[in-house]
Amino acid sequence: MKTVQIATLLDDRLLSKGKSTRVVWAVSFAMSMALLLLPWLFKLDGKPHRDWQQFLGRFHPLVVHFPIGLIVLVPMLEIAGACRPALREAAGFVLGLGFIGCLGALTLGYLLAYGSGTAGPGVTRHMWGGITLTIGVLVCLLARPWWMSGTVPHVYPALLTCVLLVLVWAAHEGGSLTHGNNYLTEYMPAPMKRWLIFGTVQPQMVPGSFYAAHINPILDANCVTCHGEHKVKGGLRLDSYGQLMEGGNSGPVIIPGKPGQSLLLTRVTLPPNHKQFMPAQGKPPLKPEEIAWIRAWVLDGASPAATTVRGISIREKAPEPPLVPVGDYSRMMPEIRQMANGQGAKLMLVSKKPSDGLILNTADVARSFDDAQLAQFQKFAPYIVEADLGGTAVTNASFDTLGTFTHLRALHLERTAITGDGLAKLAPLSQLTYLNLSGTKVTKAALAPLGSMKNLRHVYLYNTPAQPAPVAESTHAIARNVP
Amino acid sequence: MKQHPLCTDTEDIPNVMDLPIPAELKQEWATLQTRRRFLGRTGKVLGWAALASLLGDRALMRDAHAASTSSPSAAPAGGDLKLPYFAPKAKRAIYLFMSGGPPQIDLLDYKPNLAALYNTDIPDSVRGAQQLTGMTAGQARFPIAPSHWAFKQYGKSGAWVSDLLPNTGRMADDLTIIKTTNTDAINHEPAIMLMNTGNMNAGKPCLGSWLAYGLGSMNDNLPTFMVLQTKLNAKENNQPVSSRLWSSGFLSSEYAGVGLRSSGDLVLYLSDPNGVDREVRRKMLDAVNAINRQTFEELGDPETNSRISQYEMAYRMQASVPELADLSKEPKSTWDLYGPDAKEPGTFAYNCLMARRMAERGVRFTQVYKRGWDVHGNVTGVLPILCQETDRGCYALVTDLKQRGLLDDTLVIWAGEFGRTVYSQGGLTPDNYGRDHHPRCYTTWMAGGGVQPGITYGETDEYSYNVVKDPVPVRDFNATILHCLGIDHNKLTYKVQGLDQKLTGTTPASVVTGLLA
Repeated sequence: MKTVQIATLLDDRLLSKGKSTRVVWAVSFAMSMALLLLPWLFKLDGKPHRDWQQFLGRFHPLVVHFPIGLIVLVPMLEIAGACRPALREAAGFVLGLGFIGCLGALTLGYLLAYGSGTAGPGVTRHMWGGITLTIGVLVCLLARPWWMSGTVPHVYPALLTCVLLVLVWAAHEGGSLTHGNNYLTEYMPAPMKRWLIFGTVQPQMVPGSFYAAHINPILDANCVTCHGEHKVKGGLRLDSYGQLMEGGNSGPVIIPGKPGQSLLLTRVTLPPNHKQFMPAQGKPPLKPEEIAWIRAWVLDGASPAATTVRGISIREKAPEPPLVPVGDYSRMMPEIRQMANGQGAKLMLVSKKPSDGLILNTADVARSFDDAQLAQFQKFAPYIVEADLGGTAVTNASFDTLGTFTHLRALHLERTAITGDGLAKLAPLSQLTYLNLSGTKVTKAALAPLGSMKNLRHVYLYNTPAQPAPVAESTHAIARNVP
Repeated sequence: MKQHPLCTDTEDIPNVMDLPIPAELKQEWATLQTRRRFLGRTGKVLGWAALASLLGDRALMRDAHAASTSSPSAAPAGGDLKLPYFAPKAKRAIYLFMSGGPPQIDLLDYKPNLAALYNTDIPDSVRGAQQLTGMTAGQARFPIAPSHWAFKQYGKSGAWVSDLLPNTGRMADDLTIIKTTNTDAINHEPAIMLMNTGNMNAGKPCLGSWLAYGLGSMNDNLPTFMVLQTKLNAKENNQPVSSRLWSSGFLSSEYAGVGLRSSGDLVLYLSDPNGVDREVRRKMLDAVNAINRQTFEELGDPETNSRISQYEMAYRMQASVPELADLSKEPKSTWDLYGPDAKEPGTFAYNCLMARRMAERGVRFTQVYKRGWDVHGNVTGVLPILCQETDRGCYALVTDLKQRGLLDDTLVIWAGEFGRTVYSQGGLTPDNYGRDHHPRCYTTWMAGGGVQPGITYGETDEYSYNVVKDPVPVRDFNATILHCLGIDHNKLTYKVQGLDQKLTGTTPASVVTGLLA
């Protein structure tokens, strides 16, 4: 209630003229100067101060949204007020309220940064954004009566526009502090990303090194929001190799070869409810394998350039292409069942889910199954995801039929008379991931068309002209089993 | 219904087979009728009572038949079973069973700190109140016997493997090593039954039978489930391996494993005798089948159908098994890989090669038994022989499957029924020691379809005595195997004696997600 009265009072005072106006201007000027001097009075030195400051400070992210909402409301009220004067009357009040909100949020924000010892260019920018915004709103308050009375018509709208721009910028800086720098752009569609001019400069890393491939991404995802370019808690930055090894206020955090003495590992392996546990503030803890990678990397010397680390093998995460469900083959079920029960090539169900598709199985009749029989399965083509033609009598002519099996993911042609002419006809099979040509007469040249098939990742050429049988197994490795 | 010749009952009764009831109930009625032979007239009364209870409310419904055929729950149980529940990673599995209990401390569970503890007693706190076998329970001391062999790290995964298994080491990046498999049984027979059937008592279907029952065949010319035994080596301590281990239990006997012999003919009497050609054999079988079908119609015993299908399978195997066993077309690279032992039928290497050939031909489940791992004494004398016999075959099988593109959808499993103790059984000398049975932790591995390659799962304490992290009880081990083959272990059930029986038993089991790819 009290704030409402003050806001009203402020508005009234500003409207009245004379001596009181001068007082108001003087007070405003003093207040602005105080705000501008604040960073020099209480320097953000990166050291934590009182707990109560942090306690109050943590209300900043909550409170800050009130002035934002109020300030954004002001121009709307002013514009709508052109038709309904009552709204314009409210605008002054809302602006006053926004100013008080700004003061409150600014105070809490300062307490948060000062109390928790957060520093860094991001924090500094956000702070100056907040101070500028508060002063801007104050000046708007002062300029608004002129505009209302019509004496100076353009200053107030111009000021208000500037205030809104500052608001957007300061709010974005704040958001970057809590959510991370790339929060907005991370999932931006690739074509849009290309036009992103304000892309961040990647820190210098040895490409292909274990650090670049595995350690840096872990730190980037879990630590850098608080220990990075924009926010530097405890004087520690983890966004580049140099800074990681340099350490923070408590000294180095990585001691090469000694994971047990490396503070970084100690802090991430504490019990999660421990006061010093990292990542702090309820952020998800590091995954066990991530900790294992860091430990092995430190043990191996914490090199910036080494490409492998003893004891760690990380599978390349090349995700299999998503399975494309096939249509419902239920209406063909009688035919499929009849085939499964009879003698001859069978269509087997991948699983109980019809969308998983069918497997063409020829194991029973492999030697007599030829191109003509394969062609008879064309009507099931959209449902067949795997064709097992290993050891059958099919020839290069089968590629004409197989090229129409649009949902094919795995194709077994091992031990057939295929020579590879016509493999290009498989190119339309965009979902084919597995192709077994072992024991055929396929040559390297015939395989060239497969290069364009993006999803094809398992090609087996054992015992073919394209990949001759391996030379004799070295026998020296066979066990020295002498007691 | 036709009167059975042995039946003296001439009462005029309604014929169940003509009633408008579901076919499955007629089937069950027919089964109960076989009991009637045993119980005489009283049996018929029982049969009617049973039929009434089977029918339940539906007995009074005029349209019982129509209703039951249209509702999905009444679909024939076997018909829809032969599918995975979800798209599987592995279509088939090869199980290398190391009967006797391989000593994990000497093979895959590296404990470098034990060397310093040589001949000291294992702390009581580690053993706890465990009941030991009769073979060591009376020992005054339990002296620690460190492994006689050095270990090396292999591959990108850095797995520690004993110098006894250099070839296993070379494929470390393809293996999923499980250090914390553990069992409830401490003696061979219950432990090997538990591992294979999920129950220590005989009579339950084994893993292979459940797979055959649940997934069905991929090649009608060969059995769905085949068992290969390795020839015995008299220097080793061989524990018996019986056909109970590949029995189908209460499932139809057509799902039982078909064992191939380790010497002589793979299947006895497979070739037709002189004077009997293929056509004569076919005619004979047709006639036998006709008689069998008649018996089935009269008595309705489902085992009669199993018999018919087994005759047919044997007929087809007359053609398919010689082709399967014909190794003359194997290229030289095969022998370079599997080694010269593989040319001799019945060796472990030969069985591994056969397992690969079966996988190629669509055999759903192949189990290779290797006996002799029961090293109670003379570990340094016997263990190198065992490793020599098996190490190269295991490596060759996994490598061969991999290069031929079969490892993507084949799951290879290497396991025994339990592990062995860290303390020595009998005398401990610097050169030799013995090891007793140890159920609390032992090492197994898997490779191929569905499991994550290049990892070591679980941790044991520094004595390799207790599990410290991520235990894998046998039921979870089996649940994980079923999962890789597209089966939810809780759904693959068969009702017997009032219980929905399943491979993993009644204690809740779970799939070990940490092992999955």
